[in-house]
Amino acid sequence: MTTTSALTPEQLQRAMRRSRQRAASRWRLFVNTPGRVASCVIVVVFALMAIAGPYLYPANLPIHPGDIYAPPSLAHPLGTDFEGTDTLALIVTGARYVLLAALIAAVITIVLGTSAGLAAGYYPRLAGSAIMRVTDFVLAIPGFPVLLVLSTIWRFSSVLQMGVALGVFGWGGVARAVRAQTLSLRERGFVEAARGLGLPGGHIIRAEVLPNVAPFIGMNLMLQLTGFIYTEVGLFFLGAVPYSTNNWGVMLNNAVFQANAVTSPRALAYLLSPLICILLITLALVTLANAVDEFFNPRLRRA
Amino acid sequence: MAAGVRVRDLTVSFPTPDGPLPAVAGVSLDLARGQITGLVGESGSGKSTLALTLLNAVPAPGHVSSGSVLIDDVGDVLALRRAELRRARGAKIGYVFQASQNSLNPLKPVGKQLLDLGRSHGQRDLRAFLHTARLLMDEMGLDAERVLASYQHELSGGMRQRVGIALALVLNAHVLILDEPTTALDMLTQASVLAIIRKVHAERHLTTLVISHDMGVVGDLADRMAVMYAGRIVEEGPTAQVLADPRHPYTRGLLTSMPRITGEIKEARPLPGRVPDLASAPRQGCVFRPRCPLATDACATAEPPATVLGDRRFACYVAAGEAGAAA
Amino acid sequence: MRLARLLAAKLVTGLVMIWVVASATFFLVLDMPGNPAQAREAQDILHGMTPAQAQRQTAAMFGFVPRQPLADQYGHYMWQLLHFNLGVSIAQEGTPVAHIVASAFPWTVILALSGILISFLIGVCLGVVAAVKRNTRLGDALTLGGAIVNGIPIFVIAILLFYLFTTIWALFPQGGNVSITYAPGLNAGYVGSLVTHAVLPVTAYVLSILGAWMLTTKASVVSVMGDDFILAAELRGLRPLTVARYITRNAMLPLFTILAIALGLLFGGAIFIEDVFNYPGLGQLMISSIATKDFPVLDGAFLLIIVAVIVANILADLTYPLIDPRIRDPRIRRR
Repeated sequence: MTTTSALTPEQLQRAMRRSRQRAASRWRLFVNTPGRVASCVIVVVFALMAIAGPYLYPANLPIHPGDIYAPPSLAHPLGTDFEGTDTLALIVTGARYVLLAALIAAVITIVLGTSAGLAAGYYPRLAGSAIMRVTDFVLAIPGFPVLLVLSTIWRFSSVLQMGVALGVFGWGGVARAVRAQTLSLRERGFVEAARGLGLPGGHIIRAEVLPNVAPFIGMNLMLQLTGFIYTEVGLFFLGAVPYSTNNWGVMLNNAVFQANAVTSPRALAYLLSPLICILLITLALVTLANAVDEFFNPRLRRA
Repeated sequence: MAAGVRVRDLTVSFPTPDGPLPAVAGVSLDLARGQITGLVGESGSGKSTLALTLLNAVPAPGHVSSGSVLIDDVGDVLALRRAELRRARGAKIGYVFQASQNSLNPLKPVGKQLLDLGRSHGQRDLRAFLHTARLLMDEMGLDAERVLASYQHELSGGMRQRVGIALALVLNAHVLILDEPTTALDMLTQASVLAIIRKVHAERHLTTLVISHDMGVVGDLADRMAVMYAGRIVEEGPTAQVLADPRHPYTRGLLTSMPRITGEIKEARPLPGRVPDLASAPRQGCVFRPRCPLATDACATAEPPATVLGDRRFACYVAAGEAGAAA
Repeated sequence: MRLARLLAAKLVTGLVMIWVVASATFFLVLDMPGNPAQAREAQDILHGMTPAQAQRQTAAMFGFVPRQPLADQYGHYMWQLLHFNLGVSIAQEGTPVAHIVASAFPWTVILALSGILISFLIGVCLGVVAAVKRNTRLGDALTLGGAIVNGIPIFVIAILLFYLFTTIWALFPQGGNVSITYAPGLNAGYVGSLVTHAVLPVTAYVLSILGAWMLTTKASVVSVMGDDFILAAELRGLRPLTVARYITRNAMLPLFTILAIALGLLFGGAIFIEDVFNYPGLGQLMISSIATKDFPVLDGAFLLIIVAVIVANILADLTYPLIDPRIRDPRIRRR
């Protein structure tokens, strides 16, 4: 029993309208979820902070020696630090380092990880297991202790250095995810068909596999960003890395270890400000990653 | 003959953005005791939903909005309480999945799952139960000891199908439902599975429902057949009569679209268009109208009522007219 | 037999990884600023030792003698390593590193393992609830809560816990692992003090992975609940408890993958937690040895952490074939 697959013009129109409706309803779903809109706003605000922040304040922030650890007030909405510098100014100027280093690291991991994953997934017999062994190794080692030891030899403190250090150890996860996705795509009909047509491997990877892996990568990108923010702030927090410019991790280090903010309730705002910023941006990125996942994976959507 | 299963006015709806729509619409069907009934339809015709309803197992968010399913010895399946329903499933009604589906727990050997089945149905003497199962499997040409010790992934498609049939019958159910029993099997295995179905049906005097999109399987096995389209039964009757003299345009179209071994290939003409889904089925008038070569204005007004012709039924204005003219 | 071969393969891989890390550590020490080994040797000579004596001293401290051919140094280092000789501490003159590291190790392990165990139990239970009640408010709330907790970095949790429960509300002691007023031993005071000092760090560990357990369990349970064999089990009239057991056992599989990752994260997070809570484990050892430039100790602690994580990974990997018979079968083509 067969039926033709030719569609009449009306059927074609109806199908197109329906797919447009579906895209519109997915957009509505996104916009109607307040959490997701808030997350977008948060990310945009922090991005603006990173880009424009340092321009809003003088290069050397003014200190107010008479105003150490001042509680929040109109003049200093988030209080001041141990030198009397305005905390809000510290937060805004400190955003750039944190976000830029994370971005650099994320770009490196995406490039390295995707190449490795695509190669391992598409040529599982040749390149596959060798690459996977290396990836598994990189993944198995807990990154933080390694970075800690590394920090004693290579004093990476500039944004670029930090980004590279983080990126080189962080590409394992992306590689593994991309490889799994590539492997499963490879089994699917259209890749076989392309190979049957004699299209070269490189072309297939670029034109057929990559577009399907892209949403994965997008999602991973956001999750990677949170991981890197956390790692670099952690490194500064422990005092393992010398700092040249102010950033949130440095603020935390000062707050907890230099100023003993955790044992005296006085410097609450100084302690909490970087913490809450980290929390906000992390949660925002995670929410957006989930949104991307749901967008491309219809099974996750609520009925 | 007293009916084994009586379905009356069954409607199963699913909620959609356009409101609740029927996957099964007003279906009435009798499965006679001791007979094999075949249910034919393309993908999306609602036949699997209908089969699941016989066990009151429509997957959420679908639900039965009206109708009844009366089974001998059980009552109205749709009215049973949860505990009674659970006891009826497996013990009174057996359901056999497609071979390609993983209908067994991948982490447990078949034998252990069989024991779970026995315990769940209050079988006290489990050794006797296992013995019964072994005999049943031997009858079907399985190496019972080996199969019982195997995991699902160690069994071939044909073996899985046979294990499925064995599990459905081991508690002596008298109603057997087989969903696409030969799909995804090679031709030789298909033939042996069909032979097994015929054998167990005859030996145990079952009431059997075979669902398939393959006319050949239904033509081979079934005593009566029903043709389903977009949630409705469009034609029903003794298999030989329906195949030799199809009345409904859809049935005719299906049969014409099958190429024969004898004859020209271009005699096989496919049906234009495709099976509608829930949202695209016409809300008014005959649901087959958009693809029907014989459609008239009358077909757009309301759904055609069933015309009874001896042992057969069909729902078509045009066919009813032809039958009336011939009478 | 297949199982034994898998085991052997995993062990070999693990040993290779340990060897790679040990070698990398060796080269790292060579690279450390001012090559402490050479500096030490020079210092010893200045203090009046003969070059031979100084060399022997440095060899004892660092596990190798500087300025010898690289291969010799490497060989010497590896040989010492196989005898569990990790050198001698600089900061604590003369104390073998192995000794220092071994006394710190149990503290880290106790906290980390308690953290994993407790978070596993709570996380899996909550995950199952979230899955079963997934379209209700309870389920949604749990899922949201899990996602939020999952996103919070471990040191944020540690700082907040410390701040809230030792400063704002002085419920727990401010750091350390045990109060010195109690004599060590199996007496109520000592054990009680151990427990109260451990509560906050363990809670920090628990909260840091709780989200992951919960979300993974939920996703896994939801996925298994939709599988054909569960429908088949229900259609065959299996008892609800049996069906629940089918679901659980199948849903647990992905959790073992998480276990391996969780172990890695925990040992990494140990550094933060032990720093904030002043807990004398390997993490704190690493930090203090960086501050005092006591590189042999840093090496030793680092090596031990890595080895612990690798061993834990191997163990987690080994349990998988025991649970999933499909892995044992060579016929199944797997990724």
